Amino acid sequence: MKLSNDADIKQTITRVKDLLNHLENDQIEDAEKVLEDFSIKDNGDLFSEIGKLTRNLHEALSSFNLDSKITDIAASEIPSAKDRLNYVIERTEEAANQTMDMVENCSRMADTLSSDSQELLVEWQKLYKRELAAGEFRKLCKRIESHFKKSTKTSDDLHKALSDVLLAQSYQDLTGQAIKEVISLVHEVEESMVNIIKVFGDMDKYHEAKGKVVKRKEAEGPIVNKDKRDDVVNGQDEVDDLLSSLGF
Amino acid sequence: MDKNMKILVVDDFSTMRRIVKNLLRDLGFNNTHEADDGLTALPMLKTGNFDFLVTDWNMPGMQGIDLLKAVRADEKIKTLPVLMVTAESKREQIIEAAQAGVNGYIVKPFTAGTLSEKLNKIFERIES
Repeated sequence: MKLSNDADIKQTITRVKDLLNHLENDQIEDAEKVLEDFSIKDNGDLFSEIGKLTRNLHEALSSFNLDSKITDIAASEIPSAKDRLNYVIERTEEAANQTMDMVENCSRMADTLSSDSQELLVEWQKLYKRELAAGEFRKLCKRIESHFKKSTKTSDDLHKALSDVLLAQSYQDLTGQAIKEVISLVHEVEESMVNIIKVFGDMDKYHEAKGKVVKRKEAEGPIVNKDKRDDVVNGQDEVDDLLSSLGF
Repeated sequence: MDKNMKILVVDDFSTMRRIVKNLLRDLGFNNTHEADDGLTALPMLKTGNFDFLVTDWNMPGMQGIDLLKAVRADEKIKTLPVLMVTAESKREQIIEAAQAGVNGYIVKPFTAGTLSEKLNKIFERIES
């Protein structure tokens, strides 16, 4: 029974008066009819409330169904994301080691080339200073010839090693693809979590927390959002400035 | 600066240890040894007669900052020069390392020039 406005109240007063009249005049059937009207009207309100609740429940359930995706995510997508990230670690480590192998080879080749040239230069300068005996000149020519041959070979080897270094960088493409997959999964998880908060949680708190930058006290490795942080240094110069301000 | 000095390089990533060792070799230091965290490094330092320690901060087991504190707390090795090479770049961490007695602090990524400069600075101070 609604008594929310004047019309309702007036209508109810009229009906109660009718009911009393009918009862005082022994018009039992008429009195019963008035009572029946009351209860039908009440049930009508009840039914519409139940209707609303059912609709809400249905919406909640269907949005929760949407998040049955979460089962798939937890059961297979997260484990496969871990595999992907491990793959990234393996490929980058492999590429770093391959590159360093080649760089070390190249350094050795360059060192040999340089020391051979140095030695020959000393001999060659002896020639100018007329310190070279006649027989030694022939030997020097032979050595220079073999140095030229060796240099050509070393240059080819260097070139080959450098193109291997170049090729080793293909890890960037492969790992980039694997990381993109993981990023899109993280995005999906985020959406599902927001849906759950919408249905069961507090969206205001969510929006409030969204702007916060989480600062951790312990070691956290490279800082990836330096522009949003005011508690970190930007590069070696700032480290040096900070340390010298401390009297270092 | 003695080019034959015994150096321990501590980092949990083998690639970073290799990079540091290569750079040290280019600077003429060949007597380099490796450990992958503080727990393996500390006993080596206690018995190995090392002259210099280069350590990362963020490592499993024992972190670099705790290794530094353990070194400074050990009567036998407390004067060992320590250079931190790390990605940790929070001001309060740099201050913590300075207060714990670090001799130099390099943030990753770094250059060969920076490593050489910090090494020279550390040993100039010690020798003066």
